[in-house]
Amino acid sequence: MVNPILLIAVPLGLAFSIPLFGFVSKKIVKLIPIVGMLFNLIASLILIPKVLNKPIIVKLGGFPPPFCINLFVGPVGILFSCLIALIGLLVSIYAIRYIGAQGKQSNVGQEERYHMLYLLLLAGATGVVLTGDIFNLFVFYEILCISSYALVAYLGDKPGVESASKYLIQGSIGSSFILISIAFLYGQFGTLNMADIAQNINSLTSVQVFFPLILLVTGFGIEATIFPLNAWLPDAHSSAPSTISAILSGIAIEIGIYAIARVVFTLFGAQDFFLFLLMLGLLTLLLGELSAFSQNNIKRMLAYSSAGQMGLILFALGVGTTEGIAGGLFQLITHVLSKALLFLATGFMIYRTGSMEITSLQGIGRKMPLSSLAFTIGAFSLIGLPPFIGFPSKLMIVFSVLLKQNVLYTVFIVIVLIGTVIEGAYFFKVIQALYFKELPTQESSDAQIQEAPLAALIPMVILMALIISIGVYPKIMTGILNSAASEFLDRVAYIKLVLK
Amino acid sequence: MIFLSNYIYYIGAFGLILIALYILLTRHNLIKKIIGLSILATGVNLLIIAIGYIKEGTAPIFSNPNLNPQNMVDPVPEALVLTAIVISVAVLAMALSLAIRLYKHYRTLDMRKIKEQRW
Repeated sequence: MVNPILLIAVPLGLAFSIPLFGFVSKKIVKLIPIVGMLFNLIASLILIPKVLNKPIIVKLGGFPPPFCINLFVGPVGILFSCLIALIGLLVSIYAIRYIGAQGKQSNVGQEERYHMLYLLLLAGATGVVLTGDIFNLFVFYEILCISSYALVAYLGDKPGVESASKYLIQGSIGSSFILISIAFLYGQFGTLNMADIAQNINSLTSVQVFFPLILLVTGFGIEATIFPLNAWLPDAHSSAPSTISAILSGIAIEIGIYAIARVVFTLFGAQDFFLFLLMLGLLTLLLGELSAFSQNNIKRMLAYSSAGQMGLILFALGVGTTEGIAGGLFQLITHVLSKALLFLATGFMIYRTGSMEITSLQGIGRKMPLSSLAFTIGAFSLIGLPPFIGFPSKLMIVFSVLLKQNVLYTVFIVIVLIGTVIEGAYFFKVIQALYFKELPTQESSDAQIQEAPLAALIPMVILMALIISIGVYPKIMTGILNSAASEFLDRVAYIKLVLK
Repeated sequence: MIFLSNYIYYIGAFGLILIALYILLTRHNLIKKIIGLSILATGVNLLIIAIGYIKEGTAPIFSNPNLNPQNMVDPVPEALVLTAIVISVAVLAMALSLAIRLYKHYRTLDMRKIKEQRW
């Protein structure tokens, strides 16, 4: 039996020991994130059956829960920690060759900084999903945010520094809102334990609830890229190196969605708030997809598509039924796997051609067949074509909405499907450029364009295999998705488990 | 006046937060924006401290058996503020180092002139 606290402690410890390893050997540094994430993945997989049976509550410091910081390792926590470890592992394998190549191109110097910040980001993300204490959640969230600001500026070039400073200012305002809200909750209840707050939240009037709730949703919404708060997203995701875009798009913004879901469902149990979330999700979806459609820069297009997908997940969570939340979490898994694959596939395409414009990728399908195949599979999966993972997840969302048997909701799902059509349109535009357009005739540059190295292909192949196998057999996910959805909806059970 | 003297710390905290938000929204110089972030962090910290504050309270340490627990200041907000200060120091250091880099690239800190990244 693995103690869940190791899931946070091991990456955190390894992250700070990376500079020490750097003194010993420069080569060993690249392997440390792989070791840390492999440990996390194995430990999380071992914990899954136990957690599905009964959530594990870890009491830190030996006090009973309202007085100590406790970890709540429920189905949601373990699902997220598996995803974080899986994507972290695959992206760090990809980074072995990619970051070195990027660094040489722009004279960044030491690679230790990248690997250290990368592990810190993952440790922070794991901490957010496992903790049961609101202030502890804030601290881990800040670890995640600060390391992602630094990672966006990692190359130190013009676009990176500019978008990192914009991201930093917006992110810090959001963090301050979260802290103000925590101060309010502490002032009301004298406790920071989420189960304890959830137990007493009904004693407040609706105005008293509204203020902290809206501050928390705004604060986390900046990281989760909800519509009016996502101005930083396209800049930050497109100017960072591709591995970092994959992590930011695949993990960081999902943590924002997780935090919003935890706050709205568990902490406040705000039934009246669901429709508002749903509308926000719908707006984010439409605006994200429309902006993605008009982009010529491939990474910017993928970044806007992330915003659209976050909108879809928020929409599904806002439906507020077990099926809806399970569908939202399934769509989240789809997005994590597919978007990570898309960013990894474009990483070496951009590196080889030296340009992010879609037109410069024309005809690259013949030069880099496997990367192009990876891009195609990721795109098809996000659009929701069978037999990829995006098909069952989108189907689940559609079913959950139709089960509501409400005309209003049926109109909503039609709008969602229109968003999907737009999504299909811009992805097919890129795929057409990859395969069916001729290369621009420059004989000199042709020779340099070759397939990505093996270390970059392995993670892509694993992601493709996962996308197809879950897409063919989605039943393996139903168990964990349903218990995760009921963890969000069943507040009484959550409170009882922690405070008994 | 009694209202003012009872709630002076809350008024001060919200005053600082609003001033900071005003700075962040209206100033275009990155250094001024960073100063705004610093004021925002101070305001939030003052708010948290004000929640645990008791007038003429003592430190929550039983150094003297006559001390009354009712008059002790709540120690949890102070612990929170220590953590929050450390976080805001990290953010500000990060922001200032980005500002240095930004100045080297663009020779200006006016965010209106720095817009290579457009929609």
